[in-house]
Amino acid sequence: MAEVSLHGVAKSFGATEILRDINLSVDDGEFVVFVGPSGCGKSTLLRIIAGLETVSGGEIRIGSQRVNELPPADRKIAMVFQSYALYPHMNVYKNMAFGLKFAKTDKAEADRRVRQAAEILKLTPLLDRKPRELSGGQRQRVAIGRAIVRNPSVFLFDEPLSNLDAALRVNTRLEIAKLHRDLGATMIYVTHDQVEAMTLASKIVVLNQGRIEQVGAPLELYRSPRNLFVAGFIGSPRMNFIKGQVLRVSEEQAIIGFAGTEAAVDVRPGSVKPGDHVTVGIRPEHMEVEGAGSAPLRGTIDAVEQLGESSYVYMRLASGDDVIVRAPGETEATPGGTYTAHVPSRALHVFDAAGLSVLPERS
Amino acid sequence: MTDITASSVPVTDVVPTRSRFSIHIAVFLAPALAIYTLFSIYPLIDTIRLSLYAGDETGARSFVGLQNFYTLLTDPNWSGQFWNAFSNNLIFFAIHMVVQNGIGLGLAMLLSLPRLTGGSVYRTLIFLPTMLSVVIIGFIWQLMLNPLWGIAPSLLKAAGLGSLFGPWLGQESTALLTVSLISVWQFVGIPMMLIYAALLNIPDDLLDAATVDGAGPFSVFWFVRLPLILPTLGVVSVLTFVANFNAFDLIYAIKGALAGPNFSTDILGTFFYRTFFGFQLQVGSPTMGAAVATAMLIIILIGVLIYLFGVQRKLQRHSF
Amino acid sequence: MTIRPGRIAVHIALILYTILALGPIFLILINAFKTRRAIFADPLGLPNGQTWTTIGFDRVFANSDFGLYFFNSLTVTVVSLVLIVLIGAMAAWALTEYRFRGNTLLSLYLAIGIMVPIRLGSVSILRMMVELNLVNTLTALILVYVAQGLPLAILILGEFIQQIPKDLRDAARCDGVSEYRIFFSIILPLISPAIATVAVFTMVPVWNDLWFPLILAPGDGKQTITLGVQQFIGQYVTDWNAVLASLTLAIAPVLVLYLLFSRYLVRGLTAGAVK
Repeated sequence: MAEVSLHGVAKSFGATEILRDINLSVDDGEFVVFVGPSGCGKSTLLRIIAGLETVSGGEIRIGSQRVNELPPADRKIAMVFQSYALYPHMNVYKNMAFGLKFAKTDKAEADRRVRQAAEILKLTPLLDRKPRELSGGQRQRVAIGRAIVRNPSVFLFDEPLSNLDAALRVNTRLEIAKLHRDLGATMIYVTHDQVEAMTLASKIVVLNQGRIEQVGAPLELYRSPRNLFVAGFIGSPRMNFIKGQVLRVSEEQAIIGFAGTEAAVDVRPGSVKPGDHVTVGIRPEHMEVEGAGSAPLRGTIDAVEQLGESSYVYMRLASGDDVIVRAPGETEATPGGTYTAHVPSRALHVFDAAGLSVLPERS
Repeated sequence: MTDITASSVPVTDVVPTRSRFSIHIAVFLAPALAIYTLFSIYPLIDTIRLSLYAGDETGARSFVGLQNFYTLLTDPNWSGQFWNAFSNNLIFFAIHMVVQNGIGLGLAMLLSLPRLTGGSVYRTLIFLPTMLSVVIIGFIWQLMLNPLWGIAPSLLKAAGLGSLFGPWLGQESTALLTVSLISVWQFVGIPMMLIYAALLNIPDDLLDAATVDGAGPFSVFWFVRLPLILPTLGVVSVLTFVANFNAFDLIYAIKGALAGPNFSTDILGTFFYRTFFGFQLQVGSPTMGAAVATAMLIIILIGVLIYLFGVQRKLQRHSF
Repeated sequence: MTIRPGRIAVHIALILYTILALGPIFLILINAFKTRRAIFADPLGLPNGQTWTTIGFDRVFANSDFGLYFFNSLTVTVVSLVLIVLIGAMAAWALTEYRFRGNTLLSLYLAIGIMVPIRLGSVSILRMMVELNLVNTLTALILVYVAQGLPLAILILGEFIQQIPKDLRDAARCDGVSEYRIFFSIILPLISPAIATVAVFTMVPVWNDLWFPLILAPGDGKQTITLGVQQFIGQYVTDWNAVLASLTLAIAPVLVLYLLFSRYLVRGLTAGAVK
């Protein structure tokens, strides 16, 4: 078991900077998810930890050891690839035992480990099959099995679910979570899917354009996104953003005007002054149909999506902003009509012109 | 179909399309089948038929069964030449398999290294000799190795190997090897390209996975890349085999139809040519030529069949 | 990025092999423009003001019909190519698009020609050409080359046609377009990238062939360039200027075309290997 820490890690290919000054520590036994849009550098970061890419600067430590110079095999890591990367010419057993051969594991011990992993992953009847004779889900499990037998301190997952269909994805997600509980190993998991990140992680690292935007527990990121990017990335459907302006500022509160209404919001002292342009953020699920003492938003309905237990109302405000509201399942809203949603001021997020949140830090 | 459906559904939509289809098929296929059959398959079959006949000076032909083959394999005037050409051809093939395909594999390995700068330039340039006529290549090397011009000896001298030089193309002991190496030099690009493509086709993830599993560069090659390109190596081998047992141009260009010195570079292609057209005092014989061609055909077919049924079936093709 | 020492070794190996591959050709090209004395005195030197001469080329043009041979080769290659592509595409289309009895059998029949060299039928081919009165004509060569090139062309084009979305032709059928029009106005334009590949695969062996010109059209001014050079060098073997010049003339057009179209060829070879 081991913790992983990155200090000032940077990576560039030629003149292109992929990663800049990444500082991060992952505790022993933690499940950390790197999430971000494609091209944000999350896979590169994972491959750097694995030792498949060299760094242009900075230091990587696994356990207490600096591993920059160590080849992947000596880093006590195992990796599960997006494509599974099973050796097509070897059967399941050999696929799992392949790494043990190079680790100079004793034959009997290797056999024991492979069979044990196969047992855990319900692969025992498939040990003689070639990868092409397996279903997608089975291949996925072999890939995980290959990682388990190595008995690594750190598991690395590179978008392992993206090749599975929706139903299998949910299933495998649960299995991976269970595996983490059972093994207690440190796991680092890369995905572009924020739902996977929210459900699996004990800690989420949001990456964008080669930098870490925010690190925190899933709900922490959901409740207090530090900036516009994280606010927009975490949560589905996406947070609504409306242009607004600071009208008045008192000691710890600001009155923000937006979309023809206004609301009083707690802010960090000194973070805004009257006249500042800001972006107001509000999650669709935090709007209310009826609300006393909250700011009303009125608009024309563009479309209504009924999901049964809830429905999404797409409306355009008089100010020209488009807004999504989560309404009760049986709403009477119809396209073309008007709709009013209420915004409780405690659910408001406010971001300054630089895109940073001005809300007070919550502890 | 019943009458009811036929009357309710517009008939023209169903039946004529089908019958029109077959006319289309015939029209599309006819030219290719005609030319191919007439100028490729028919001559091959007719050659096999001719090999069962013998002709005299008047041009009259009579059926002799397998007599020509019997002559070819046992008559001292023929069998010595045939087996000489055959064994030379085997050596020619063996040199290609080892040297040409070995170098091709090595170059392909180098070219498939990740993020290799200038890879496509190397590929294009190394493949270039393959594009030129075998005849031209033959003459080029004849000049290069010509002791009169002295390029090869002076280059060898510069490398401190001056004493190694000899009239390689003129000596019985070295002529076949030299000719083979010239051919290898020209065609190395083909295995290189085919193997390179096969190596590129192996997903990077697989190589990364092997690296994470602790395999060093040599183990990655031996346990992962090599097994995965075996089918391509099979294709390369059978292509080499067919091309080698059908070769003619190079030896004809360098050594002429007599494949000297003293037939030391004679292979089946040149032997076939001499038999068919004659040389010096011997008169050409179409029927004996046909017999030699048929023998070559059988050899090539045996090679191809061994590949198709013995090798290819065992080599699992992998889709990634 | 730092350059690893391993990489340098790789480049050295590749550069050395490239020199080995191109050196002989390069030497022929430079020496063709040098005086006889310079050819022997300094074979590795580039031609300069003192050694420059085109006397070899003058002799080649004076003593042989090089222009004619070149024109013969061009005619044979281009006509064969056009026929192979057109006829081959038609057959490939029929075999991939329509399901009919004997389809697989026909495909196998056509595949024979990929593995079995047509050369082995030369005895009968010559006999036929004599009977058809086609000896020493370019037509004889073209017919043989078309027969020789078709199998591979059909294979490559067939694989390409399969990749064209089925919806495209079905949409045309719904519009009432005839099968012929579908082929000529939809399929043929769409397979042009494959045609480039087939062209390279077909042209090179045809242009370079010695065997069939030697057997079917060895004289009467119907020699192709490969045969022409072979005959010329046989005659003027001691005239180094002329030999080098004739080799240069034979190499140059292929060299230019190859450098222009090499990416098609590389693409074709790599795509072919995947199958």
